[in-house]
Amino acid sequence: MKMTRLIALGLSLSLGTVVSTAAAQQKVELQFWTWYLSPKFDDYIKTTIAAFEKANPNITVKWFDKQDSMVQDFISSVNLGGAPDVINLNIDETAKAAQNGFLRDVSALTPRATLTATYYPQSLTNFSSGGKVYGYPWYGWLNEGVMLYNPDLFKKAGITAVPRRASDLLTLAKTIKDKTGAYAWVPALKDPNTASFLGYFYAEGLPIYDAGGRAAFNTAAHAALLQQYVNLYKGGYIPEDVVRREAFQIATELYAQNRVALIVGGPQALTRIKDTNPGLYAKTVVTGAPLGKAGVQTGGSMDLVVPAASKHPAEAAKLAAFMTSNASQIAFAKVVPVVPTTRAAQGDALFKQTGSDPVARATALVGSSGRLINPGYKAPTNSDDLYKNLNDNIEAALLGRKTAQAALNDSVAYWNANMKK
Amino acid sequence: MRASWRDTLLSYAFLAPALVLLTLFTFYPLAYGSYLGFTEYGGARFAQGLAPRWVGLDNFRTLLADPLFLTSLGNSLKYLLVVPALQLASLAVAVLVSRELPGMAFFRAAYYVPVVTSVSLAAVMWEWVFNREGTLNWVLGALHLLPAGGAFGWLNNEHTAFWAVMLVTFWRGFGYYMVLYLAGLQSIPAELEEAAVLDGASAWQRFWRVTVPMMKPTILLCSLLSTIAALRVLEEVLVLTNGGPLNSTYTALMYVYSKAFQGFNFDYGLASAAGLVVAAVALLLSLANFRLFRESGGDEGRA
Repeated sequence: MKMTRLIALGLSLSLGTVVSTAAAQQKVELQFWTWYLSPKFDDYIKTTIAAFEKANPNITVKWFDKQDSMVQDFISSVNLGGAPDVINLNIDETAKAAQNGFLRDVSALTPRATLTATYYPQSLTNFSSGGKVYGYPWYGWLNEGVMLYNPDLFKKAGITAVPRRASDLLTLAKTIKDKTGAYAWVPALKDPNTASFLGYFYAEGLPIYDAGGRAAFNTAAHAALLQQYVNLYKGGYIPEDVVRREAFQIATELYAQNRVALIVGGPQALTRIKDTNPGLYAKTVVTGAPLGKAGVQTGGSMDLVVPAASKHPAEAAKLAAFMTSNASQIAFAKVVPVVPTTRAAQGDALFKQTGSDPVARATALVGSSGRLINPGYKAPTNSDDLYKNLNDNIEAALLGRKTAQAALNDSVAYWNANMKK
Repeated sequence: MRASWRDTLLSYAFLAPALVLLTLFTFYPLAYGSYLGFTEYGGARFAQGLAPRWVGLDNFRTLLADPLFLTSLGNSLKYLLVVPALQLASLAVAVLVSRELPGMAFFRAAYYVPVVTSVSLAAVMWEWVFNREGTLNWVLGALHLLPAGGAFGWLNNEHTAFWAVMLVTFWRGFGYYMVLYLAGLQSIPAELEEAAVLDGASAWQRFWRVTVPMMKPTILLCSLLSTIAALRVLEEVLVLTNGGPLNSTYTALMYVYSKAFQGFNFDYGLASAAGLVVAAVALLLSLANFRLFRESGGDEGRA
């Protein structure tokens, strides 16, 4: 009897070893979704994935680049039981997804200390909600990172001093348009699907929410700022297409046609200008962007999230951490002028290079400033409806249907009535 | 003669594949979507794997209290103005291009090109027409129909954006209905036309007394299709104006789309309810179309 038990024990032990070894060697396939990165950055993504797979032989990564239908595809995949394991979202979408319970708290997958040591504090805050972190910060951009301008149009307008304050731009708008016929710049008054005007309030040090978390962007100071833009719009000093198209798109198109004198933004605009008007690109001057009274930057960032429905969260966390590591982000910044969100990027030699090439100069100016990336406001709950309401009100003010004060009052009332459903 | 049970069985066997597909892709989604209209479902509830919660008529009350929905429904009803214009124009052009004259094949193809042009490409092209420095302002300026300095972006103005988008819908749909009318015209027996000629009827009389009556079934079909299409207009609005300015081009289907598919705050329940309202309107208008054509002798074309 004893002998039988011993044999049984030995067998079960050896079987256990075999099973655990097999489990350790079992391949895990991760589905990784990026957003608008293919085909332009195929080489970079594929190389990084290959390096990850080499470092983690039991994990294979199946990469898909999603475009317009990213969110719908994600929701469908959750419904069909085949959710991806790692997804690339932005700050707003991450907040919405987290509020609705679609995401995992990544600080439960990667120690908080590691996250804090790797990424800028503000970058983690951008993707946090209710004390939980919902994304590994990835590449970012600064809305006021650099200013690039057409020196010929500046000269024609008789401008000798580069604007240093956001308020200078408002004055410049009239001078440039009156003297050259070109617009000075294209402010993001109501970019679709977001609440871009709130960024202007933040830049001027005006609050978005009060201490109790209620919308509070309707003081006289807020209205006065909006009124300045309304006046410019009504006077024809801002392209009228800003009521229905993304400001960045309009700015890059018109700048390349010599119809906009300057662009405030990231170096990514330069890449487009280089493609469409190489002559103007070569002439373009890059310098620091004017800031608002608060002296702060606004900006955005992408992240990598792990869906609650992922079947391999531990491996997914590994991939997300690898893709967003300092080494990977710096390698990405060499391909395209993005702003890394890792602390170590601050001291990287890449951002200390100088030269006359506009992209290189812009990259040097903003590349190590990831710590400043901040959209200026937290996405509210029910944000799609609230953003639309704010944009409709901004539009009503621009088109003269409401006063600036009434537009902001109406929007704040709507926000506070609908923020928590 | 009565069909044997074997014949009946065989008939159903032939119908079965189509019925299965229709059930899967039409009847079931229709029934489920209708059910969702009376539930709370979407967003957090969906993410947590919870079933839809029955809320009765709550979604419909929400819709009636939502000014955006009422505006969008009003815009969709206003959009129906494109239907008669589209039908009259495509029928008239179909009559013209149905003649066997040299070069007519080119015109038939040319009018059909917009139907197969992608909406994004069409949007870029119409942007060139409608923007401040676009061809429309240039033409109006050249004809002195626009005062100096009076140029404006047609898609950025709340008084013109709606009509500008409708013109794009007209342009995109025109060729499709023209082809349907061409097919209808070719089915009219030539003897009828010849008899009318012998009776001394003028071209105008032949058109109204022979062609139009014979074409009534096709006109009914085209009217129904274009009525439903006008209520469902979405793509051109999305790419040209995104519903603005001041929601002047925001249509009912855009409301449904934004509620069902926008971001992670989506609301399938409310979107389905809005979809049901649009479907009910489409049904009523279709019935009105049938009634109108029956009262005006819509069946005589088949006699």
